[in-house]
Amino acid sequence: MIDIQQLASVVLILGGTMVAAWLVSPFVTSIYTRAPSRLDRILNPLENWIYRLTGTDPDHGMGWKEYFLAGLVLNIAQMAIAFAILALQGVLPLNPMGFRGVSWGLALNTVVSFATNTNLQHYNGETTLSYLSQMGAIQFLEFTSAATGVCMGVALVRGIVVGSKDMGNFYVDFVRSLTRLLLPFCFVAAVVLVWMGVPQTIGGYVPIKTLQGSPGYVLVGPVASLVSIMQLGTNGGGYYGANSAYPFMNPGPTSDVLEICLMLLLPTTLVFVFGQLLGKKRESIPILLGAYLLFAVDLAIAFAPALPLNDAAGIETRIGGFFSVFWTVVTTAVTTGSVNTALSAMHPLVILAGFMGMLIQATPGGEGVGLSYMVMYVIITVFIVGLMSGRTPEYLGIKITSRDVKLVLAAFLLHPILILAPTIVAYASGAASAVGLSGGSTGFTEVLYEFTSAAANNGSDFLGAAGNTLFFNLATAAVMFVGRYAPIGLMLALSGSVIGRKRSGEAGGLKTDSVGFSLVLVGSILILVVLTFLPFLALGPILSYFQGNVNGLG
Amino acid sequence: MGSRQGAAGPRLRRGLSSALSRRVLADSVARLSPSRLVSNPVMLIVELAFFVVAAMAADPGAFAGLATEGGRAYYAEIAAVLLVTVWFSTLSDSLAEQQARNTASSLRKLEEDVQSKKLVREEWSQTVVLVSSKELRKGDLVLLEQGDAVPLDSVVLEGIAMVDESLLTGESSPAKKAPGDVLIGGSRLTSDTITARVTANPGETFVDQMIQMVESSKRPKTPNEEAVTVVLVGLTAIFTVIVGSLLGLSSVLGLHADLSVLLALYVCLLPTTIGALLPAIGLSGISRLYGRRIVAKSGRAIETAGDTDVILLDKTGTITVGNRRAIEFMPFTGHSEREVGEAAFLSSWHDDTPEGRSIIGLAYERGFVPRELNSLALSEVQEFSASTRRSGVVISTERGLTFPKGGKEMAQRARVSRKYADATAGGQLEVKLTKGAPDAIKEVLASVPPGFDQAAERVSAAGETAMAVARDGEALGIIRLKDVLKEGIREKIQAVKTLGIRPVMITGDQPLTAKSIASEVGITEYVPRTRPEDKFQIVKTEQGQSRVVAMIGDGTNDAPALAVADVGLAMNSGTEAAKEAANMVDLESNPANIIEVVMLGKQLLMTRGAVTAFSIANDVAKYFAIMPVLFASALPELGALNILHLGLRTAVLSALLFNAVIIPLLIPLAMRGVSFKPAGTMTIFLRNMLVYGVGGVVVPFVGIKLIDLLISAL
Repeated sequence: MIDIQQLASVVLILGGTMVAAWLVSPFVTSIYTRAPSRLDRILNPLENWIYRLTGTDPDHGMGWKEYFLAGLVLNIAQMAIAFAILALQGVLPLNPMGFRGVSWGLALNTVVSFATNTNLQHYNGETTLSYLSQMGAIQFLEFTSAATGVCMGVALVRGIVVGSKDMGNFYVDFVRSLTRLLLPFCFVAAVVLVWMGVPQTIGGYVPIKTLQGSPGYVLVGPVASLVSIMQLGTNGGGYYGANSAYPFMNPGPTSDVLEICLMLLLPTTLVFVFGQLLGKKRESIPILLGAYLLFAVDLAIAFAPALPLNDAAGIETRIGGFFSVFWTVVTTAVTTGSVNTALSAMHPLVILAGFMGMLIQATPGGEGVGLSYMVMYVIITVFIVGLMSGRTPEYLGIKITSRDVKLVLAAFLLHPILILAPTIVAYASGAASAVGLSGGSTGFTEVLYEFTSAAANNGSDFLGAAGNTLFFNLATAAVMFVGRYAPIGLMLALSGSVIGRKRSGEAGGLKTDSVGFSLVLVGSILILVVLTFLPFLALGPILSYFQGNVNGLG
Repeated sequence: MGSRQGAAGPRLRRGLSSALSRRVLADSVARLSPSRLVSNPVMLIVELAFFVVAAMAADPGAFAGLATEGGRAYYAEIAAVLLVTVWFSTLSDSLAEQQARNTASSLRKLEEDVQSKKLVREEWSQTVVLVSSKELRKGDLVLLEQGDAVPLDSVVLEGIAMVDESLLTGESSPAKKAPGDVLIGGSRLTSDTITARVTANPGETFVDQMIQMVESSKRPKTPNEEAVTVVLVGLTAIFTVIVGSLLGLSSVLGLHADLSVLLALYVCLLPTTIGALLPAIGLSGISRLYGRRIVAKSGRAIETAGDTDVILLDKTGTITVGNRRAIEFMPFTGHSEREVGEAAFLSSWHDDTPEGRSIIGLAYERGFVPRELNSLALSEVQEFSASTRRSGVVISTERGLTFPKGGKEMAQRARVSRKYADATAGGQLEVKLTKGAPDAIKEVLASVPPGFDQAAERVSAAGETAMAVARDGEALGIIRLKDVLKEGIREKIQAVKTLGIRPVMITGDQPLTAKSIASEVGITEYVPRTRPEDKFQIVKTEQGQSRVVAMIGDGTNDAPALAVADVGLAMNSGTEAAKEAANMVDLESNPANIIEVVMLGKQLLMTRGAVTAFSIANDVAKYFAIMPVLFASALPELGALNILHLGLRTAVLSALLFNAVIIPLLIPLAMRGVSFKPAGTMTIFLRNMLVYGVGGVVVPFVGIKLIDLLISAL
């Protein structure tokens, strides 16, 4: 249950983040409209130098295919660089701890995981990765994947803006996302985190003598910079295996609240940017209301049990049960995937709420991708129920054709296939039992969660380093890759086909910018997700709940 | 719409009970053949499920691990319900086609093969040959006498006759047909004799087009139907993935799910309701439109009508009954009312329009019969033309006989007026009388008298039409003509506005008159001084702003506009060119029907949306009915999901039965359409959402529970 004080914290955190998002949104919009800015004097020379160096014509507008392929190829190239760093870290500099190179299966899983903004981690960073790997592979991909996500979301909107001729230039969007959005924001966040006690050093682990007198190490490194992009970029991959439960990543309640806000900030900002880019600010209403009403449903499920997290068991005393559960809901709602408490300590209904966030992917979802998903839901909703207004379905004046419906349904259908097929294979092949997971409600929940998290590009999981088997490394890598690029590609194809299409100019159709429509949208999304996933949730967290595993799945 | 809908109810019920004939039943059973179900993939899957479960009932041993030996009776029951589900769907198709067939056969009555008198012209004579109407071709001349049926669509060349068109239009009083008028195949002459030229080959009239459309089972899907089909296929794919995964999981996790229950879940989840009713909804749209005596050339046009943003309404015929009546002669200073009346009388003598006749009527009433009437035979007629917008007469005693240039009708007039010719002795040598729109008259005036414009404007401002009368370039006065509004037009326009559609009035009147009439019926936008050719430009302008435009038209000069308009409704009384260009033809030739078309288009889309939403929303309850049973043996804890407390043995059957029974229950809704009151788009949407969306979630919970109670008791 949730008490008044806790509810007030929720409202304050969400409200504060929304206000902050609303305030920064015009600036973020201006990055993509290339409106003149005061930053131009400093950044234009830098950006132009990058364009010249890479041979980019910043005024070249791309069609959806070119835009998408540019992003995909660039991401794959980045994966290759990161893979090389991980595999060769043993012979590369900045390895004062002397870690060996990462095995190819784990390296592949890790680079796909970080390049797809998933950050599923089948390793413990503090005992596996050198400083160079943490910065050059992990942190590098956390920046590029976040930037790619934002670009794809922005391109989607560009396609449906009235009178647009192309989707923009991917390279320009990508560079500007880094120079104007992610790097400055993360710099500020990292400085604040350092002030709160998060380490930032490449000086090597510090040897100490513990209170018992035995020797040990203080595991410090370039943590603050990584935490800032991991939260802000809805990445979620931590420096340490314990992620944000580790004090150096999340020193206390203040940093906890800050990090929750950082997770929510950019996805929420992009919702406002959506309306601003369209030139119809009110169109942000259904996206925002839809996202946050569904978020409220998640919260209500998570806090339904009397004791969502059994603090008394001594699992979490530093941050407290309430903030652990709240974090869990937020991290799945924006598909960040960072955790501040082991999931196995959670009540099954908290896990169910986590599933909801990852299955919907738009509450408000990951950067750019969450927006794409919400647009997808809006189109499905407008199409299925919009007919009841007595007009053929339209969104933003775009008549929804059967081709659009095909693309949208393909994107929607992909998700259950990506989750369910490997889950069945995991059991059929014995890969699940090899890591000690039974076919009971607990084991099934963990396997289902693994692939749901991978398909939704979330990254939180039960397995952690235990998932470092060839099957789980390769299977999740494939799921993450397809789960990331296929829906983006399908939605860009939809948006690209809207360019130059006839628009209806009259406001006589469905008012998608109204509260009434937002409520219908929420209902439709819930029904769609329930219809698609209820039987599987019933075999996992719901069954676990009926079986009375109230003290967590662990 | 309201009153007609009320009447449609009982008619439809009668229609349903009589339609459940042996023929429909036989047809619906014949449609159960899998080869005929290919066009409806959802139902094909249900039938495949039936075959599998029937096989389970026959030999459970063949389904090791998926069926139990003791379940034979249970499997047989499930199989039976599955088959009934498919049958309900084919029954709905058969019923809709039966309805369409009835429409077609009532249309075909108009096309009965009749003996017709074909005129064969030879050099000096013409002979009448009796031929079957099938042998007539476009361009042939036919002679029609009292009692004859018009064999094919044709146009009158000579003669005037009364024609009974009640079969087509439902209008019982015969219509007068004069040269140039259109005769519809199937109508019948009730008086006189005329010669007509056939304008369509047999099998090419639009009645034929209509019959083809309602009868063809391969009726092309409309874009919206296509998109809904894509949704159905998409949903089917999603549920196939779900059920396939459940089967897989049941096997790898050792959950021992029964295949029949799994298939029952599958069928329950599939969008069977909308899958079964989709064809019927599409067909019923065409049938219902025909119920209003409108023939659509495609289903697409009806759907587009639902999207209309702008309706162009011709003032004359749509908003007003069409004949303005003269109510007063207003002389200018220096002239008497009699002078105006007599001049109006003379200048209107050759004017055969209702307006012209009403002027003469008013003049008679007031006793303003001019002496010059006798000289009319010697007059030169200046016919009305759209470019000058005036007409008149030049009466001359000097020139001798001046034949009017007017053609046949004028010849009749001339014969009448010749009687008066002798009395015209002396008098003026030549008098030129002109009447017309005030600004058109101004062009022929030697000097514009003071107060001319003000008088005209005063009349216009009151919503009346001013017509000026001049004699030899001197303005005499103004005739006041009043428009008569059509009954109920104000309410219809209000309904259109409530639906968020902009009515635009098009009229040849001057701005003040237009404004006054427009505001009287609640229209804010009007285009005054429009000629028919201007309509094309108006349609183009609106479409340029991405609006969907509906319009009506009847003349040849309306054809270009009708062709480009998104919804073009031609009057059956109109020219062939107009009917060719339009995508719908109104047999009643009532322009106000355009509003009904728009309403019907909306209703069609709403019905399709409502049944789709209802079908999908139903699935939630079915999960709660079937999931607890599916894994009952391995996971008894999931019994907690059985929130309806259904019996273990009856739950699946109840859900399946509900799934099947809902189809015939919704057939009347599919055929009649969702009823709605004109309101804002969002209001209509939210109301339907509440009824069919939220209702769709709630109803099956109640329905399944009731069915469960019922079959548990048996």
